[in-house]
Amino acid sequence: MFERFTRPARDAVTAAQTHATDLGHDRIGDDHLLLAISSGADSPAARALTEAGVDTAGLRAEIERAHGRLGEEDAEALSSLGIDLDAVRSRVEAVFGDGALDAGKPRRRFGGHIPFTKDAKKVLELALREAIRLDDRTIGTEHILLGILRAGGEGHAALRALGVDAAALRRTLERGEAA
Amino acid sequence: MTDAKDLAESAASADPSTGLRAALALRRLADSLERLQVANARRQGWAWQEIADALEVSRQAVHKKYAKEM
Repeated sequence: MFERFTRPARDAVTAAQTHATDLGHDRIGDDHLLLAISSGADSPAARALTEAGVDTAGLRAEIERAHGRLGEEDAEALSSLGIDLDAVRSRVEAVFGDGALDAGKPRRRFGGHIPFTKDAKKVLELALREAIRLDDRTIGTEHILLGILRAGGEGHAALRALGVDAAALRRTLERGEAA
Repeated sequence: MTDAKDLAESAASADPSTGLRAALALRRLADSLERLQVANARRQGWAWQEIADALEVSRQAVHKKYAKEM
């Protein structure tokens, strides 16, 4: 199936794995695909995201929040209880290593591949269908993004949490196809 | 924020959004520490039953929650 993917689309799939491991997650989700498109090379899909008000840093923060990582807001709330999260984190990391508190699960340090989530696989299949529907011979990042919008998984949830108008974003992407 | 007055103000905050957010953060921290220490115990050869006893839950509960990821 990947032979029909454009170079940027393949790069996005590869980068999604890097984002997932960097964040300490043990699966590549459609949210990591979304992050890869947003942070990747300039493309119609990346521009559509920017136009829809998505910035990469905000998206990453939202994904971390959704995965239950302890973020800035948690640190603030804990300090209101007299708990210094940075102090807890540094004590834990002194014994168990960097990122131990946030990853929880032992980190895969030896370059192993991590699997895709069910939603991420569904998104890649939907990307193919979107390309067929739009009469495109190749599958680009815009088709992956359309797949993310259609799948209604974690990527879609992250966009919604950031206040993105999914219908408007879809129209922008489809208009780009026509042009 | 460690001063007693601030602490009393927020921990016992009459504003539910502040108090509930603190409870959520505390639960996330507790979940992270638990996951980390269950993995640590398993690496040190603890049986699921011993971990369950330490956490004061059933062996089934702790096994169901963590067995797959360890």
